Amino acid sequence: MLILKMNFKNGFCTMLGVFLLLALAGENVQSADKEPIANFDNDIMPVLKKHCMGCHNDKRKSGGFNLAKYKNLADIKKDLKTWERVADNLRTGDMPPPGKPKPTNKQLDVVNRWMDTQVFEFTCVGQKDPGKVTLRRLNRVEYNNTARDLLGVNFKPAEEFPADDVGYGFDNIGDVLTMPPILMEKYLDAAEDIIEMVYKNRFVFTKYLKVASPEKVTPADFPKILEDIATRAYRRPATKDEVDKLVKLSESLVKNGEKPSDALKAGLQAILVSPKFLFHVEIDPDPNSTEPHKVSQFELAGRLSYFLWSSMPDQILFDLARQNKLHEKGVLEEQVARMLKDPKGRAFTLNFPEQWLHLRNLKTVNPDKSKFPTFTDALREDMAKEAELFFDHITRENRSILELLDSDYTFLNQRLASHYGIKNVTKPEFAKVNFTDNRRGGVLTQAGVLTITSNPTRTSPVKRGKWVLDNILGTPPPPPPPNVDELKEDDKALTGTLRQRMEQHRANPNCATCHQKMDALGFGLENFNPVGVWRDQDAGKPIDSSGDLPGGEKFNGPAELRKILLAKSDLFAHCLCEKLLTYATGRGMERADNCIIDAIVEKTKKDNFKMQDLIIEIVKSEPFQMRKAKRGAKS
Amino acid sequence: MSRQLSRRMVLKGIGASLALPYLEAMNGWTAHGAPAVAGNPKRLAYFYVPNGVHMQDWSPEEVGPGYKMPFLLDSTLSKFREDLLVLSGLTVDKARANGDGPGDHARSLASFLTCRQARKTNGADIRAGVSADQVAAQKIGAATRFSSLELGIDKGQNAGNCDSGYSCAYSNNLSWRSESTPMSKENDPRQVFERLFASPGETTASLKKKEKTRKSILDVVSEDANSLRGKLGSTDKRKLDEYLSAVREIEMRLNKSENNQIAAPKFTPAESARPAGIPRDFQEHVRLMFDMMVLAFQADLTRIATFVIANEGSNRNYKNIGVSEGHHELSHHGNDKAKHEKIKKINQYHLQQFAYFLEKLKGTKEGGSSLLDSSMLVYGSAIGDGNRHNHDELPILVAGRGAGTIKTGQHLRYPKDTPLANLHLSLLERMGVALPSFGDSTGKLDNIGV
Repeated sequence: MLILKMNFKNGFCTMLGVFLLLALAGENVQSADKEPIANFDNDIMPVLKKHCMGCHNDKRKSGGFNLAKYKNLADIKKDLKTWERVADNLRTGDMPPPGKPKPTNKQLDVVNRWMDTQVFEFTCVGQKDPGKVTLRRLNRVEYNNTARDLLGVNFKPAEEFPADDVGYGFDNIGDVLTMPPILMEKYLDAAEDIIEMVYKNRFVFTKYLKVASPEKVTPADFPKILEDIATRAYRRPATKDEVDKLVKLSESLVKNGEKPSDALKAGLQAILVSPKFLFHVEIDPDPNSTEPHKVSQFELAGRLSYFLWSSMPDQILFDLARQNKLHEKGVLEEQVARMLKDPKGRAFTLNFPEQWLHLRNLKTVNPDKSKFPTFTDALREDMAKEAELFFDHITRENRSILELLDSDYTFLNQRLASHYGIKNVTKPEFAKVNFTDNRRGGVLTQAGVLTITSNPTRTSPVKRGKWVLDNILGTPPPPPPPNVDELKEDDKALTGTLRQRMEQHRANPNCATCHQKMDALGFGLENFNPVGVWRDQDAGKPIDSSGDLPGGEKFNGPAELRKILLAKSDLFAHCLCEKLLTYATGRGMERADNCIIDAIVEKTKKDNFKMQDLIIEIVKSEPFQMRKAKRGAKS
Repeated sequence: MSRQLSRRMVLKGIGASLALPYLEAMNGWTAHGAPAVAGNPKRLAYFYVPNGVHMQDWSPEEVGPGYKMPFLLDSTLSKFREDLLVLSGLTVDKARANGDGPGDHARSLASFLTCRQARKTNGADIRAGVSADQVAAQKIGAATRFSSLELGIDKGQNAGNCDSGYSCAYSNNLSWRSESTPMSKENDPRQVFERLFASPGETTASLKKKEKTRKSILDVVSEDANSLRGKLGSTDKRKLDEYLSAVREIEMRLNKSENNQIAAPKFTPAESARPAGIPRDFQEHVRLMFDMMVLAFQADLTRIATFVIANEGSNRNYKNIGVSEGHHELSHHGNDKAKHEKIKKINQYHLQQFAYFLEKLKGTKEGGSSLLDSSMLVYGSAIGDGNRHNHDELPILVAGRGAGTIKTGQHLRYPKDTPLANLHLSLLERMGVALPSFGDSTGKLDNIGV
């Protein structure tokens, strides 16, 4: 099975529009190949020889890469990991390095296309692969919100559940959400608690169970009540068989002498511990097929509501699904806009950025109190709030996602403003504040991100740089080579400022390639201390926040760094889209998903990447609209 | 009224009285202690510390009973010298890359008790192995109300990539029920207490009635799940099987209770012993969790437990002992003297907490001996030196005599690369689970028995 790190950024599909009629040289693509298939010896090797093998040869092996040892396509296919990095470096423009001749765009296109189709063997033509989502259970947030919308309880029963494990950066990944026995125990407890709460509140009881009061319940009410609740809880019409079983359960308790109202509780509790409530159940016509198919209307309604509300569909979505209207033209657009306007849309604008930006780690970071006495728990919360409000604003106002990279405003309260050294914000409530200088803008210069990427006593340019590569540019550096610390033990101890020490560290060729990039990005943020306060000096020495990126760009200070990132808007859009699609589908991205992501980037680019446009394109994409029962290529 | 609701009311209503220092309230436990029983049950528990240990001050030089305790052991556990077995030279080979590249932290926690190579994945197809504690739990857990307890301090990282392409499931979980189902750990002492002991005001009759209803609910939903199962593809089936297996575990427990096959807790702690929640202070938190484990052993509610003192790769700082830097950050010490000293301090601090636990167990009498005597408590890490990320020469010790089956009071050294799995195999045998092998074991561990 194929699980590969995403490395395709401005890949093949971006160029699809331009090259639609050009060669599709994949081995498994027979059609449309009007142009000759790129040939390794004639088309590829000369480019590699001229632009790569001057350094990456048998002798020099720069950066540990020797491209001369691959004599043919078969050799290359045996070492896909290396070639993913080759592809990555070519696409980001990091290679060839500044000062060396670059291949022409035409040459690059040929090489890229050859890699996609011949080396990695995938194509974006024809039926796109929706991928396979593993049956996922409700995570804690989803459980709380669903309980709230299903039965009007607000006490967050899932607070007592064990933490949900994280995969691909998110806590809603089917493969990673497991169900140990203790969780089942908690589900039973929670079901009892939820039903107790409903019974205790007469208003809630009447509203959701549609009977005046518990005392008025008779066994004759069981079928109606249980069918109604089960239908909403399972997010699709409950079958007669399902309802019968629940009714029988409650009736058996009546027979054993329970009051009807108490007996009803058991039926309701059974709904809340049923796998049909606890899992996002989606049924395939053939459970053994790799053939993609559209999900049902109810399943689609569920996907939508859990994506944007982290909760069950409301009546409007249910009705649209029942009337088979969700697939109609314009309906999804209308629903997305409506759902984001709804207060429940906060679930998305909180849970997504909190995980994408790693802000949940704010709860556990512990900056050194003696060095940073102003870092209180209240400030910790303010930092998270700033990012949340900022993201919420961009989403609801349907602004360009590029404002996440640079903006002339943010959201502050008095405490955080004073942390930033911004005067004239006097209220404890958050409000939109326009910057009067060019120090900050976008998420990268918000205190939350700056704090979670620091160590307790000092900044970590490496962590910050890696964070940018991982979460903004979507080009994660490969992990460090093993035993990297041992390599530097020949040393004279590293001395000097942090920057000097890191430059010495980079002298080690095993570290240089990646660290040049990570460190430069990180040093661009050195004007912000470990809790995100602006500084011009560190330990009495002036801050040097300049940097050279491997692609040849130079910058001085965070404002210029932001401009450089803005110029890489396609990379950023691809990265954000990848994270959104992961969050929306609950699975990790695979190579084939690049076709979809590239297409979305291309489509939304015209209008400068508006947030809701991105969301709508995701909702309309194959991975969101379709599924297949099994991983693997279509048989 | 249900267990948790009643608790919520209690918390709302008389929260103040619950803020009583727990330990004070717990004084006199042993006064309620269990009656003497011939042949005390053995207990098995594992304690994990992350980022390795400063081995220069952990590893004794001399072998045998006359060994000199190095600083870390001497300054924390000297009082328990005769209850300890210090083991040098043990290795967790499966924590090594073995071709999988970086990710030593995630691999270490995932392999410490499974001794299996965790599959490198950020999510899809998570796979480690069944951990030693769960092997025991599945075999002998039925004897007690809970087959095992999984405790920890950290809730688990909430965002990001935990370690070089490994899902956080690996770096957060020590105990694995199946090769794909980690056992989530509990970190709230109040919740542990409430799980172990019935709510105030709950009578045997009301409990029985509740359990009976639960049983009929579970009957309905497992039927539901079984009919659903037939419609699912293979990966989805695996997920539903986790559900079914969890349901079965609880059904089994309810059946035992219904047939009076589970002894009532050997004692019930006073209501004032109920913790109020997660304390802010690390030490207080750790000690409360230890208290819960002592209670569970004492009441014989379980005989198997795991405790993750901090998740692997933890960057927690320990300001209260003068360490402002993060633990993980420090562990990459680059042989810097000052950093060595700070790591030592953290190691010592963790051991001091463990000493508190041993003290408690030793002070809890059970049929003429102590709980510590009948226990086998493995303390250690699958990383030796945090800077090198080596997985041989690990810091490992066993506390407790396993009801007279372990020769404590000595230091043993094993040949290079002796698998830690050999220790697991030997301890499992003592728990009545005789296996031909476990993980990458090559045999039982020599010389630990009496």
